[in-house]
Amino acid sequence: MVSLRRSWIPSLQLLPAGLFLGLFFLIPLALTFVWGFWPRTEFWMEPGVTLEAYRSFVTTGRLAVYLKTLWLSLATVAVALVAGYPVAYYLARKIDGDTAFSLLFVFVLPFIISTIVRTFSWRFLLGRSGPINGVLVGAGAVGQPLDWLLFSDVAVLIGLVTASIPFVVFPVWLSLRTIDASLLEASSDLGASPATTFRRVTLPLSLPGVFAASIFVFVTAFGSTAIPTLLGGGGYSTIGTTLTSVLGVLNYPLAAAISSVSIATMLVLLGLWTYFFDLEQLAAMGGDA
Amino acid sequence: MPNSNRTRRSFTKLAGLGALTAAAGCTSGGGSSGGDETSTDGSAGGDGGSSQQINYGGIATVNAGEWSGFTESSEWGVNFVTIGNSPGDILSTMVAGGGRQNYDLLAPVGGIQPPLVEQGALQPVDTDRLENWDAQYDYWETEQGQAFVGDGGDVYGVPIVWQGDSIAYLPGEVDREITSYGALFDDEFAGRVAIEDNYTTAGQKTAMYLKANDMADIDDPRNMTESEITTVVDFLIEQKQSGQFRTMWSGFETAVSLMSEKEVVVMDTWEPVVFALRDQGMEAEYATPDEGYLLWAMVDYVVNPPDERSQSRTDAIYDFVDWQLSGWYGATITQQTGYMTNPAAVPYAEENEGFDGEQVADIHEGVQRKFDEIGGSWQQRWPDNREAYEEQWQRLRNA
Repeated sequence: MVSLRRSWIPSLQLLPAGLFLGLFFLIPLALTFVWGFWPRTEFWMEPGVTLEAYRSFVTTGRLAVYLKTLWLSLATVAVALVAGYPVAYYLARKIDGDTAFSLLFVFVLPFIISTIVRTFSWRFLLGRSGPINGVLVGAGAVGQPLDWLLFSDVAVLIGLVTASIPFVVFPVWLSLRTIDASLLEASSDLGASPATTFRRVTLPLSLPGVFAASIFVFVTAFGSTAIPTLLGGGGYSTIGTTLTSVLGVLNYPLAAAISSVSIATMLVLLGLWTYFFDLEQLAAMGGDA
Repeated sequence: MPNSNRTRRSFTKLAGLGALTAAAGCTSGGGSSGGDETSTDGSAGGDGGSSQQINYGGIATVNAGEWSGFTESSEWGVNFVTIGNSPGDILSTMVAGGGRQNYDLLAPVGGIQPPLVEQGALQPVDTDRLENWDAQYDYWETEQGQAFVGDGGDVYGVPIVWQGDSIAYLPGEVDREITSYGALFDDEFAGRVAIEDNYTTAGQKTAMYLKANDMADIDDPRNMTESEITTVVDFLIEQKQSGQFRTMWSGFETAVSLMSEKEVVVMDTWEPVVFALRDQGMEAEYATPDEGYLLWAMVDYVVNPPDERSQSRTDAIYDFVDWQLSGWYGATITQQTGYMTNPAAVPYAEENEGFDGEQVADIHEGVQRKFDEIGGSWQQRWPDNREAYEEQWQRLRNA
């Protein structure tokens, strides 16, 4: 009797979490997927099966927007990693812990301000009459202000990368901090140069943090609408703004189809992540530093 | 039908959950593009804790911020909630959402009552119950105007704010008076022009320009066929790809900053942008276009509740709308927004402290001139081929 009760306890403990996930995550996701196949009515949709929403997604330029958003998000990940990894490395390996914590706090500070306000400041900096163009023109580097600094892919990329940097610095810093210093000493003792030690030991061991950062940054960039709209201009399309536009004409099946494709993209990336990197490695990073 | 409604409500609840999940997963860095569009103005009630409140959902323009002029003479308070203005937002709220339970009055830009009436979401307005009704501007009494406020011979929208839109320009940067939407497409201003990211404004103005100048075969710029909107967007894409547009804009602050920073010198926009620029000490003008203005009005719609409304609530709603058609509210909104409201606003502003009577009179005269002398085309908010409009506009954005 006692053993029977014990065998039920783990299952019962999982019940609240299972119910929560089912109600708030799995059922909405499943419904979103199903609605993508329902025929549309004037104001709503009705049960049935049609590929019309997916046909519309592919044939009306929205696929191009999806691919562009994908490209933009991947570019954001790449640039944010290149910019953020050295910062995390410096904080983790080159300075003491207390100073590192203080500097990490500095990275959090801008996030006290709203995304809109932070992004608007880029509008000022990158604008035709902004300080960057002012310096370039003043120094004679360019004959006239650069129009492509604002309302362009470059501007959106700058906005997304700067908004994403903390999502790189924190997980990479955490993964670097958990690397056992004796491994680095062993590499050095065996004659490896600092560059070789970094390439063969430090970088591979920090990859769980790098991939965690990649997912955080990708998700942030892929779902962002404020930054692309403010820095790319009102007509700048991402999958998020396209979704809003489609809802404006009450095309719920198409909105569901776009959402399904977006969610599928995330799931594929998460699948790749878990395939290449055991999630337990990330959990283990929380150990002794 | 009951089943259908129940399904819609179920969808809304589940969609909310889905959105919550998606927001947590997808938009941690910047998913707040629309800003705060559904905030409750907790200070707006001014009813001294009255439990009886008129639930008033309106776009920010109609928010006086202070309702005591009504609430002090009524047993009812006012609970103002800011709503989005897009037809999609409103229809989602009223048809798919619980808007009929949540609101007594709705105040967006008009013209979207046909689908709302079709769905039973609105009640016709009994104008005989409004003491101030006969004193109002009657610009809605044209064929296009009636389509903007009515349906099937009934009035559904009580106009409380009026305007005619055109284009703004900076005389310091543009050395001539602009009198046509053609300035938006003039090589002289290439790269220093912006249009609104909205097919019911920029799309319709472009259609008005193309039609008036015999540049395209468009029967009715207000309600274009699929091939006509395609023609309009083809033209805009050609302009965009040749570098004519600096950007497309959305949102008042963005529009103001684009011109105040001189990123653009000619812009398809709202007249209050010009007032905001002048407040900053800039020289700015609003064009009188040969093709006419894009005319519109913000209206009060009386929501049709799912259960019968009490007589006292109905009376309070009509009293409140009547109050909005009187001097204090009209003068306040005109002074806040730069839009024309009701005829009583001008004498009220001229006779009472705290108002700039001259400014209010100038604004009213200016807008009256637009309707009386220049005319134009009433904005079409719910075109028959709206799906094609949306698809074509998406093509423009992607181009």
